[in-house]
Amino acid sequence: MKSTGNQAFVNQLLVFTLVMICLSGSVGLGTVWLRHQISVSANQAKQIDADITRIERRIAETHAQIAAEQSPEKLDQKNLAMALQLVRPQEQQLVRVAESPEERLLARRNIEIFSSDRRDAAVSFHIANLH
Amino acid sequence: MTKGFASSYRLVLLTIVIVGCFAGIGVRLVDLHVLDRAALVAVADRARRDITVERARRGDILDSRGDVLATSKSVVVLGVDPQSLVPDDQVKWAELARLINMPLSELAAIFNEKERLPSAEEMDDGAEPRLIRWAKLSDAVEESTYAKILDLKIKGVYGNRTYRRTYPRNQLASHLIGYMNREETPVMGVERYADFYLRGQDGWRESEKDGLRRELAQFRSREVPASDGYKVVLSIDSAVQHMIEAELDRIAREMRPQQATIIVSDARSGFILGLANYPTFDLNNYGQAPIPVQRNVAVTDLIDPGSTFKIVPAAGALERGLVAPTTRFNCSITSIEYRGKVRRFMPDDHSYDHPLTVAEIISHSSNVGAAQLGMLLGERGLYDTARAFGFGESSGFPFGAESAGLFNDPSKWSGIDITRIPAGYSISATPLQIHYAMATIASGGELMLPQLIREIRDASDETVYTFGGVARRRVISETTARQMARMLQSVASEQGTAKEAAIPGYEVAGKTGTAQKLIEGRYSARNHVGSFVGFLPASDPRVVISVIVDDARLPGGLIAYGGRVAVPGFKRIAEQLIPYLDIKPIIEPRPASLVAKGGNR
Repeated sequence: MKSTGNQAFVNQLLVFTLVMICLSGSVGLGTVWLRHQISVSANQAKQIDADITRIERRIAETHAQIAAEQSPEKLDQKNLAMALQLVRPQEQQLVRVAESPEERLLARRNIEIFSSDRRDAAVSFHIANLH
Repeated sequence: MTKGFASSYRLVLLTIVIVGCFAGIGVRLVDLHVLDRAALVAVADRARRDITVERARRGDILDSRGDVLATSKSVVVLGVDPQSLVPDDQVKWAELARLINMPLSELAAIFNEKERLPSAEEMDDGAEPRLIRWAKLSDAVEESTYAKILDLKIKGVYGNRTYRRTYPRNQLASHLIGYMNREETPVMGVERYADFYLRGQDGWRESEKDGLRRELAQFRSREVPASDGYKVVLSIDSAVQHMIEAELDRIAREMRPQQATIIVSDARSGFILGLANYPTFDLNNYGQAPIPVQRNVAVTDLIDPGSTFKIVPAAGALERGLVAPTTRFNCSITSIEYRGKVRRFMPDDHSYDHPLTVAEIISHSSNVGAAQLGMLLGERGLYDTARAFGFGESSGFPFGAESAGLFNDPSKWSGIDITRIPAGYSISATPLQIHYAMATIASGGELMLPQLIREIRDASDETVYTFGGVARRRVISETTARQMARMLQSVASEQGTAKEAAIPGYEVAGKTGTAQKLIEGRYSARNHVGSFVGFLPASDPRVVISVIVDDARLPGGLIAYGGRVAVPGFKRIAEQLIPYLDIKPIIEPRPASLVAKGGNR
């Protein structure tokens, strides 16, 4: 009876051990999978980071090229090469507007409304109803 | 569970084996993790630890309109590991050579050299040839080219990215911007002075690497991101700078001077809008420029200011109430008794049929008149006034090894100095000092600090600090400054020495200067420094312009008077600046009838 009890205990222990091995194996495999996923994500993040850096470097390079192309010296050369005949404005060509340009544009826009031949025209205003 | 499933003997044996295995693993783990831990961790650390430095990008230098004057461009240092090359890739070598502008034979020689022989000394020590694992092909391959090189997929050819300083405008404002040398050390100009703002802070990352030396990103433990350098915004305007450099080119072409300087500054704030010297150099090829060419002669070299200095005795005498603009002096005399001794004047180029007013002394640039104004002030008074105008002291301009000038204390003056110094001799000053002395009158009597940096911006373009105009001190009252401006206006009139400087509608004020050069201890009759320093409009100054031409060679051996060599350049620059800076005429033209008027209401 005692022997049978011992065997049962050992059997249970064996089963428990096998279950524990399976369980810990599963946990281990899960951990490995998790670590692999972390590694994949980290590498993706690293790749994205590298891409951003690469693009930033390309942008910096492009900016430098644009700045070089916009130098007054280059623009003068292009003006000659393309026969554009662009020249700086001379003082005689300048007309200085002393008053506010906004008011001037407003006056131009409203000239038809306020001109003498439209004096009798009805002017209606739409007032929004706030209530 | 049945008895037959496992016999007692088998069970015990299996249990012992399993427990034994676990015990063995446990013992090994204790051995690895406890007993040998320190040594093993050190080995693993050495083998796997990886610290990567992330280089910060140096900040840009911008002009006042945001145009890039200096920037850091990403380039690739391209190299090859000759041990990794495979024969199949040999057909691609020609394309690679074309992309990096290298003769194919040279490229093949690099690719085929697999070992580096030891030096004679090393051979004596028994050293053997070493395998070459890296041979440089090019140290500045552009990103776009590198992408094409990678597309070739030549095994063993790879590059390391780095930032390299580049100057898109080449020689524009070279003496102000300065440059970074091959060792990435700032050498001069803004690059050197503002290095603290520009250089940024490198970052670093601690992680682990695998057997192929690839970073294992999942083991990154600490990471400090790089902090890019700040942007420095200058007060100079590329367009203005280009105008003055084009004018210097013209002066160099037509007059073949030894050197020349043009300075343009804002009359109100003292900020420099443009400063250029001839000869100049290309910042991207600084190695080809000799050191004297790289010198910012506007602050390092000394010249006799000549007649431009006459503003000092005139302003001093006016300020102290010793004279009025209408006070007259006999300028036809050749000598005068001063402090009990007869002093001979420097002769004038012209004779006058009437005593000259102070205004006429300025407009005719009379040496005799200036000397008499100096005598009214006395040695100490003249010295103090000149010092107040900034002569004999450093102006605090940090972009170049600035000279303080030569201006002795009156105790060291000789007997004739009181007749020479008011005319701009026996005193040496930098072009910048001469410019800011005139700018003092334009600013309303305050000596302004010459400044070049307007703003500091961070990498995201947010303004971190803004610099404003700084007055070093008040030199003369506003009233005296206005009187001086009016008198200087007469210089650019029909009666003045710079009548060609006049621009219709604008009040041009200024002063010509012609100084004989001191060569081998004697004043030369053939070598002169001609200058014109002026501002406009006189009643509401906007810009101060200095044109200084050193030792111009004029056709027919003409003397290089300031009126001949500097005034035309001044006028051309002023005429370009008027529309560009929207300087409005003081004498208003009739309003143009372009404005549409409203109705009758």
